Amino acid sequence: MSILEAREVSKIYPMGTTNVTALDKVSLAVGEGQFVAIQGTSGSGKSTLLNMLGGLDHPTTGEVFFSSKPLGPLTKKEMARYRRYSVGMIFQGFNLITTMTAQENVGLALAFAGLRGGQRRKRADELLDRVGLADRLNHRPSELSGGEQQRVAIARALANRPKVLLADEPTGNLDSTRAHELLGLLREMVTKDALTILMVTHDHELATSFADRIVLMKDGRVVNGSDG
Amino acid sequence: MLSIMSFIDILHLALRNLRQAKLRAVLTTMGVVVGVAVIVTMVSFGLGLQGNMLARFKALDLFSEIRVFGRSLGNMAATTKDRGAGRSNEPSERRQGRLRPDNSPTRILDDTAVAEIAKIPGVAYVEPHISFAVYVRSNGRVSTQFASGVAVPNSSSRFQEFVAGKMISLPNTDEIVISERFAKDFGYENFPDAVGKTVELLAPLDEKKADKDEQSSADQEPANFFGIPLDDQAPDEASPEGLVTQTFRIAGVLKTEVREGPGQGGLRGLLPTSDIYLPLRTARAWTLEHRSPMGQVALELARGSGALGDSDTEGYDSAVVRVLDPVALTDVRKRIADLGFGSFSIVDELEQLRTVFLILDSVLALLGGISLLVASFGIANTMIMSILERTREIGIMKAIGAEDREIKLIFFVEAAVIGLTGGVIGTLLAWAIDGIANRLAYRFILKPQGASYVDFFSLPPYLSLGAILFAVVISILAALYPAARAARIDPVKALRHD
Repeated sequence: MSILEAREVSKIYPMGTTNVTALDKVSLAVGEGQFVAIQGTSGSGKSTLLNMLGGLDHPTTGEVFFSSKPLGPLTKKEMARYRRYSVGMIFQGFNLITTMTAQENVGLALAFAGLRGGQRRKRADELLDRVGLADRLNHRPSELSGGEQQRVAIARALANRPKVLLADEPTGNLDSTRAHELLGLLREMVTKDALTILMVTHDHELATSFADRIVLMKDGRVVNGSDG
Repeated sequence: MLSIMSFIDILHLALRNLRQAKLRAVLTTMGVVVGVAVIVTMVSFGLGLQGNMLARFKALDLFSEIRVFGRSLGNMAATTKDRGAGRSNEPSERRQGRLRPDNSPTRILDDTAVAEIAKIPGVAYVEPHISFAVYVRSNGRVSTQFASGVAVPNSSSRFQEFVAGKMISLPNTDEIVISERFAKDFGYENFPDAVGKTVELLAPLDEKKADKDEQSSADQEPANFFGIPLDDQAPDEASPEGLVTQTFRIAGVLKTEVREGPGQGGLRGLLPTSDIYLPLRTARAWTLEHRSPMGQVALELARGSGALGDSDTEGYDSAVVRVLDPVALTDVRKRIADLGFGSFSIVDELEQLRTVFLILDSVLALLGGISLLVASFGIANTMIMSILERTREIGIMKAIGAEDREIKLIFFVEAAVIGLTGGVIGTLLAWAIDGIANRLAYRFILKPQGASYVDFFSLPPYLSLGAILFAVVISILAALYPAARAARIDPVKALRHD
């Protein structure tokens, strides 16, 4: 049974008088504990699909299911809770809050979940330790390398124990060595912690090396590998 | 499980945001500081004005006294003026015109009526108004003076301060109280010298009066005002000049009220001032004995017209009713009107005055309000700027699970912090301005006039707290639109990498 599923999802953006179809009836099912890579050129709609699955955007038509439950009927508040507890997201640009330390960045996600001071710090430290940053707790993003920043982002994404991690070009700003290290960590999380990962990338080599399954996208459609 | 971000965390985020743009936060707060300072200063000035006025009234007993009017002899005789033709005391004339009752009296204000009024719950005592002009001899000098009767004991503020001696001790003694002016006029160098000295009231020897004299003293009884002084105290004696004299001893010299600045001083209580105060019964007896020719005519006319029985005497033209508690004044006044007497109290005027002050305070608050309104635009502007700068950050928060409500709250708390800080500093500033203005006013206006220190500004705690609260509320209102706008930020757009 799939934990996350897109069924006939389309996204159409109105652009002046014409409409731009970013996603065209995309169907995709991700099984629990899988590491799935979505590969495609830029503009193929892979990031748009990821945003739908992450609850940041709504499909024009079609439906996204999490644990077989549709996201469509959720209220804004329930959507926020879905993003908080059900899925975690990381991005190419890390999207850390630059004025906060690593610990505070992770703590912020915990704060939204209502965790108080001491408890929050303890959990943030655990998470940062898990991604190998036990000695970088009080560093700000500007004092960390790209790889380290993305690890902080991973720790933050996993703060409230989601079952699924959605990664949008997580290695896009990293050199090859750092990229391998990072994907090694993600792979380990899938294997050891039974995390489900859906990663968008344009790097075929990385996708084949670490993912269980590769989904190819082109012009807003899935070319192959939509199920399985 | 608590799944709501704690207020402390939201406050932390808000403070962090403010710290990130310190100068902007400080400048925005300055707007609120100025706005609040203006409001508080303005309103405290209005309240101070009002407070000083009311305190003044209170000090002058104007809240605890009602003036009651009976049907006057002049009215009954269908002539113009009541007895006391010799009355020429100017303030008295003026006040007579001013303190007019709002309902015309139907009863004569005699001793029975006075006793009736005194029984109304809440009434401390009733002091009939008796005053007359009389020739007075003391310390070897003679002059016309204006004399009044006074209830003993008396809680009116008029009889609280003496420069020498003390108040008349008992209701039926031969003691009197004189004014500072009297003491000076009669050549007493120092006020203490006057205490214990004698004062003679002079009246013409009149056979008709002498008859009445006997008549009055024949039916004397303690509860009756008539006659008592004549028997219990120094009786009238024929003086060498062929005049009737009655001798009194000065018990005390009243402190004359000093005028304090413009618009102050003057009226104290609802009765005109005199230079000699005699115990009430003595004064009443004197006026009945030594009626002026005009008063005599009025009395005969009234008796002739049947408005007054042949053996009846005229009542008092007015009396002052002192209430125990100003709160009861309105009720007492109603009871007096029910009894058929006219009445006047300053509280009527006070109601109108309150309205005037309400308008004044509102106008002052409005002026201050405008400056706070301007500040609120500053807050809205700061918030919107801050949103533009923090779009990405807000997007991140939403992506990691912040609810719209929490995003809004952060902005509201930011605005509230600005409002609270500005409000507190503004109030402190207003407090400082008030203090300085009070001192400057004293130094350059009051002191040169010899007046004592007065707080021109009144800054009650509710005004400070109200102003701070108002600043916070206005600030939050100013953040309504920016907060809604922040909550509407689309995380997909906000996070799109450049």
